[in-house]
Amino acid sequence: MAHQGYRQNMKPRARGPSTMAGDPNQLFEDTSAGMPPSQPGGYPNQSYDMGNFSVNNIFGDSVVSDLAMAYGSNLANQSKEMVNKEINRFMPINKLKYFFAVDTKYVVKKLALLMFPYTHQNWEVRYSRDSPLTPRCDVNAPDLYIPSMAFITYILLAGMALGIQKRFSPEVLGMCASTALVWIIIEVLALLLCLYLVTVHTDLTTFDILAYSGYKYVGMILSVLFGLLFGKDGYYVALAWTSCALMFFIVRSLRMKILSTVSSEGMVSYNAKNQIRLYITMATALFQPVIIYWLTFHLIR
Amino acid sequence: MIKLCFSHDLQVLYFNNHIFILYTPLNDTLQAETAALVYLPLDYLLMSFVFEELGINFQHIQQKTLTVLNPLKQTDGSIMNETDLTGPVVFCLALGTTLLLAGKVHFGYVYGISALGCLGMYMLLNLMSRIEVSCGCVASVLGYCLLPMVSLSSFAVFFSLQSIFGIVLAVIVIGWCSLSASKIFVATLAMDGQQLLIAYPCALLYGVFALLTVF
Repeated sequence: MAHQGYRQNMKPRARGPSTMAGDPNQLFEDTSAGMPPSQPGGYPNQSYDMGNFSVNNIFGDSVVSDLAMAYGSNLANQSKEMVNKEINRFMPINKLKYFFAVDTKYVVKKLALLMFPYTHQNWEVRYSRDSPLTPRCDVNAPDLYIPSMAFITYILLAGMALGIQKRFSPEVLGMCASTALVWIIIEVLALLLCLYLVTVHTDLTTFDILAYSGYKYVGMILSVLFGLLFGKDGYYVALAWTSCALMFFIVRSLRMKILSTVSSEGMVSYNAKNQIRLYITMATALFQPVIIYWLTFHLIR
Repeated sequence: MIKLCFSHDLQVLYFNNHIFILYTPLNDTLQAETAALVYLPLDYLLMSFVFEELGINFQHIQQKTLTVLNPLKQTDGSIMNETDLTGPVVFCLALGTTLLLAGKVHFGYVYGISALGCLGMYMLLNLMSRIEVSCGCVASVLGYCLLPMVSLSSFAVFFSLQSIFGIVLAVIVIGWCSLSASKIFVATLAMDGQQLLIAYPCALLYGVFALLTVF
């Protein structure tokens, strides 16, 4: 076998001149023009390349190993498809991808809008052939990139604020993170319940509501930053500013979506159903500053 | 001297722990013989075959490291075609070791944060890009871009970073790491206009590592 021949030659034994002529230990395939006739006939099949340890030789029988590999890969594919199907039932990945189709310009414009929404004119989400435009093309569309990044930034900032005040420990960080998460879940569920009870026919999906609720984290981050830089006064000023801006933003954005009977001039007609919807929108808006204060005041001392 | 191969123009000989390859092409028209002799030390030959079997390609590792070290140069997306986890694992170990030299035993935190960060970035990138990525590719890129952080922590062994200069240096290193990582991701996944958006979560992840290094 060529392998054993190779190993034999590694030991620095001085071989006699008898191996010089017509050495049967050929290790390298002779790629010069044609095989020279002086080759010993039994060896050409066994002259392997040096580093090419073929996998099929590990099992004795290549047919069995091929079959096993095909069966294994088939099984893996089937189980992968099943897992994907189950995940797609709870969290439709394609719908989620819509919320993450953002680019840098959109994020910058949206952040500016969240902080100063008073001069923005057109609050409607634009549609293209019955499906809403992605956030890339329309600054009014909700996205989930900003809320998720803001959530993680908020947790890290809380950790840093506690660290600066020497009150840091991983348990406190975990509690902060889970408190914020639970409050968002409560808010989303409450809004969904209200919308269901009032039987509002909107196209607000769960992810939309999650996005709009998540925008408050940006306000939280700003308040904590100002509180860290400028003390308690800076914190209250930033809190007031971001609360007003966020309330305005929520009311203007959700008005178009929840208050569905809008006449052609854009004026909202005042009947009972619309009043309830208006109350829901105002309640959502008023809830924002409360929760911002609740989740951040303990970080500023 | 042991002859390992005998053909009319190529001879491979073994002598004194070296392999000699002698190529003598026969030129028909001129009948002149020019010979080329190459000799290779045997250990190098053996190790190169071992590395090929293990899938470690030193050229690629060097190329990727140079890409990381120069975050402002353009790169093409094909360098991340094969998932290579040896470099990242080596860099993680180096980070843990330099932290150990500075007196902080944080190996568990380094591994935990890397795992969590890789998982988070994998989910985010799959949602944001049109091309599917594998977790190994994400881990490989994030691990390679950890190299400037290793240099920061080795600097922290000798000088304390809890000063304005140290914090400025840490911020620069975080920016460097996240710029390289986002540059490689954007090139590999063909995402346009999203480099800063990818750089931000990378900066958060490397910021956590910098927190470990500085404090």
